[in-house]
Amino acid sequence: MPGNAAMDCQDVRLHLLDYQRGSLDPARQQDVRTHLGGCAACTRVEAVEQTLTELLERRLPVHPASLALKRRLAAAWPAPVRTPRPWRRGLWGWQLAPGLAVAAALLVALPLLYYERATVGRADGTAGMVTEALNDHLRLLQSERPLEVESGGIHRVKPWFEGRLDFAPVVPFAGDQEFPLKGGAVAYFLDRKAAALVYGRRLHSISLFVFRADGLAWPTRGLRPIGRATASATTVRGFTVVLWRSGDLGYAIVSDVDPADLLDLAARIVGG
Amino acid sequence: MSHSEAGLGRDALAYADTLHNLARYLTRSETDAEDLVQETYVRALAAAGQFTPGTNLKAWLFRILRNTFISQYRRQRNNPTVGGLDTVDSGALGPAEENWLLGDIELDRLRKVVAGDIERALMSLSEDARTVILLDLEGLTETEVAEVVSCPVGTVKSRLARARAALRQELRDYAR
Repeated sequence: MPGNAAMDCQDVRLHLLDYQRGSLDPARQQDVRTHLGGCAACTRVEAVEQTLTELLERRLPVHPASLALKRRLAAAWPAPVRTPRPWRRGLWGWQLAPGLAVAAALLVALPLLYYERATVGRADGTAGMVTEALNDHLRLLQSERPLEVESGGIHRVKPWFEGRLDFAPVVPFAGDQEFPLKGGAVAYFLDRKAAALVYGRRLHSISLFVFRADGLAWPTRGLRPIGRATASATTVRGFTVVLWRSGDLGYAIVSDVDPADLLDLAARIVGG
Repeated sequence: MSHSEAGLGRDALAYADTLHNLARYLTRSETDAEDLVQETYVRALAAAGQFTPGTNLKAWLFRILRNTFISQYRRQRNNPTVGGLDTVDSGALGPAEENWLLGDIELDRLRKVVAGDIERALMSLSEDARTVILLDLEGLTETEVAEVVSCPVGTVKSRLARARAALRQELRDYAR
């Protein structure tokens, strides 16, 4: 689109979002930039738009599906095709009553079995560790009392592990407003004990597992630098698992948050 | 069930969170949101053969969810909220409506709006406005948003601009 006639305020404001995202063609991008250079009111509106975008992206509460709902969906999809019926509260139970009986027995197994099937056969050592980290995360979420020690800060959580593990978990990141530390628990990672710490991200939970790193088939491909460490990031069915090692210890963080957020947290943990 | 339907099912399940989020903002109720998401998957399963591989599955699911919500809304809703489906938001694009934000103090206050306030402000908008804002947040293109809300592509941009303007107006009370 050529940058023909000068844009007025209304035109500019209509295109501000695209301008901020860099999605306008170069000529129109320049038109908006030129207008903003000479219009204080539109410059202020642009600042307001930017602020509004940040508010929406960072502070608007997110309402993820519960694990129970996800399990019901996973169990229901293979059912025979039904004729669509009008949606109303309570109808769901009638439609899927037989399926739910079966699903009740498979609530835990289905998602995990699916995941394990989906990852089996990968050539490097990532699959087993990713599977274990994801399963540990789901087990932690399913538990009625997932946290054995509620967070009063990292200085309360870390000493709690003393005597419960055969190593001292090194976790430099104490949590902050964006990733508050909720608490911790003792877990198992494959054949060894692990310190499980749970951080929050909006309404999501992020599990961090710290364990002895020796004797494990650590991933060797697709590594990326995160702070002082090199990490492997794998996303499967909406969950992301980031694995890395530091000295004698191995780390795995798992969540269904935006992968960028998870990598952000990993960097804070690595970098302290 | 064909292999492709099973594969579609697996892919569709990955969008449970984002579908539930939109459903929660549309229905305002956790119970209704879960019902809506579940019915969306029932309908998606029934229509799996109509999905075109290579197109945006998330947008396809959003469209089913929204159509399901609308059909339910038109039949059962007895308590109209602020604005209604297909109503035009009061927010305008003219400079006069933005006057409240022309000062640094007001802009700083807006930056400090907390999560609950922005959620309440968003909830006060019409379903149409909420929908386009949330679909835009999800990263859908204008073409995909147009398919979800069944409107011409050309109107998505102005509809989104009006929705955000209305949201700014609503936030005025929280930023004071």
